[in-house]
Amino acid sequence: MKSNRIRFLLLLATCWVCVSAAGACAASNVPPGMVAITGGVFRPLFVSPTDPKQFPVPSFCLDALPVTNGDFLEFVRANPDWQRSRVKRLFADEWYLKNWAGDVALGTNAPPAAPVTFVSWFAARAYALWKGKRLPTTAEWELAAAAGTTGPDGKQDTEFQRQLQSWYSSPSGKLGNVGAGHPNYWGVYDLHGLVWEWVADFSTAMVTGDARADSELDRRLFCGSGAVGARDLTDYAAFMRYGFRSSLKADYCIHNLGFRCAKDL
Amino acid sequence: MKAYPTLSVISVVLALSWPRLHAGELTLTNRQHSCCSKGESAGAFTDKSLYQVGSRWTTDAGKEIKLGALRGRPQVVAMFFANCQYACPLIVNDMQQMEAALTAAQRARVGFTLVSFDPKRDTAEALAEYRKVRNLAAGRWTLLRGEPDDVQELAALLGVRYKQDARGQFAHSNVITVLNADGEIVRQQIGLSQDIQETVRVLARLVGD
Repeated sequence: MKSNRIRFLLLLATCWVCVSAAGACAASNVPPGMVAITGGVFRPLFVSPTDPKQFPVPSFCLDALPVTNGDFLEFVRANPDWQRSRVKRLFADEWYLKNWAGDVALGTNAPPAAPVTFVSWFAARAYALWKGKRLPTTAEWELAAAAGTTGPDGKQDTEFQRQLQSWYSSPSGKLGNVGAGHPNYWGVYDLHGLVWEWVADFSTAMVTGDARADSELDRRLFCGSGAVGARDLTDYAAFMRYGFRSSLKADYCIHNLGFRCAKDL
Repeated sequence: MKAYPTLSVISVVLALSWPRLHAGELTLTNRQHSCCSKGESAGAFTDKSLYQVGSRWTTDAGKEIKLGALRGRPQVVAMFFANCQYACPLIVNDMQQMEAALTAAQRARVGFTLVSFDPKRDTAEALAEYRKVRNLAAGRWTLLRGEPDDVQELAALLGVRYKQDARGQFAHSNVITVLNADGEIVRQQIGLSQDIQETVRVLARLVGD
């Protein structure tokens, strides 16, 4: 009996080592400042009848923190074409880096450790490229953001859900610094509670499996009946993000919209 | 009843984003009036020219070009994919009607460009076949394929939303864009089988009689 128990404990210990070893292996490829997110399953909020209800997301690396004003200042110093007075209107609207004091000066409204906002999708994409990274896809972002503090699925975590809803229902005030809150299960900070974030394929929101006129999609998604087709009517935060992404255009620069980068593992 | 909380959540989003949406509309209005350069132009691209993008594209003749190669005459641009069963034939049909509605002299000064969402299946050969089947005049119509990242960027510039579904078909918004000779957006016709007359008038204004 006793030896059985020891064997069982040994087995447990071996499993533990295996799991940590697998984590450590992946971690060796993870650039500094990024964390590895173990692949999983993404279940889109809206799917067309012909689409699978869920699909696999391979493992990937994600920045632990949103890109800050300080980070972005480095970028515009190295890439003057992205400075406020020089950016091409095609790639960023007139709100671009509005809260900065100047082309290469942050000023009091843009603390270096606060997330950079007022950046367009094009600018975010250019920054990511400069870093040898890319923007996360919606599926990747949602997978990482679904984690609570104790596990990869925050749905079960009622305290996490409560915090989430309280953020999504309060107006955004002055932005705090990145990394001030608690990291989630993966070690990622500020996916909720600080700013909205650009994703590479933001423009896939709003389109379902039906290639007909936009107005029909509007009706289907935004009338009451549209919600019936949604995966989970209680996932208010997902509705908020879906709605927000649908309203974006790639040149928009908004006071509470920033980004972080991802990379293949 | 169940849908009400959802509705209110979405209206909050819309309310929050309203000022920005409004700004977006203003931008578009400005764009509509920023047109009117005619014929060939040299030098740097303008601030709102789509031709500033550095991406490289392949024509149905297998030739590699940058979008800047389209500079010099107004272009009617749409995104499509050759396997599209429903919307794309209608988009191309609308573009061909615009082509037919112009006078011969105007027609000679306008280009028509189709860019594929589907670089995997729409090879140069497939696009050449599409040109043949749809009878798209050589010299006037440009058919392009590019890398997925570049397709994503161009779609963002044109405000085209798209997504590939599990069967490999693309769901997409239906937008026909008129670029002036400098590559700036001067008009967008959104939705299928719209009245083409206003777009034809814009083209006529751009190229003269």
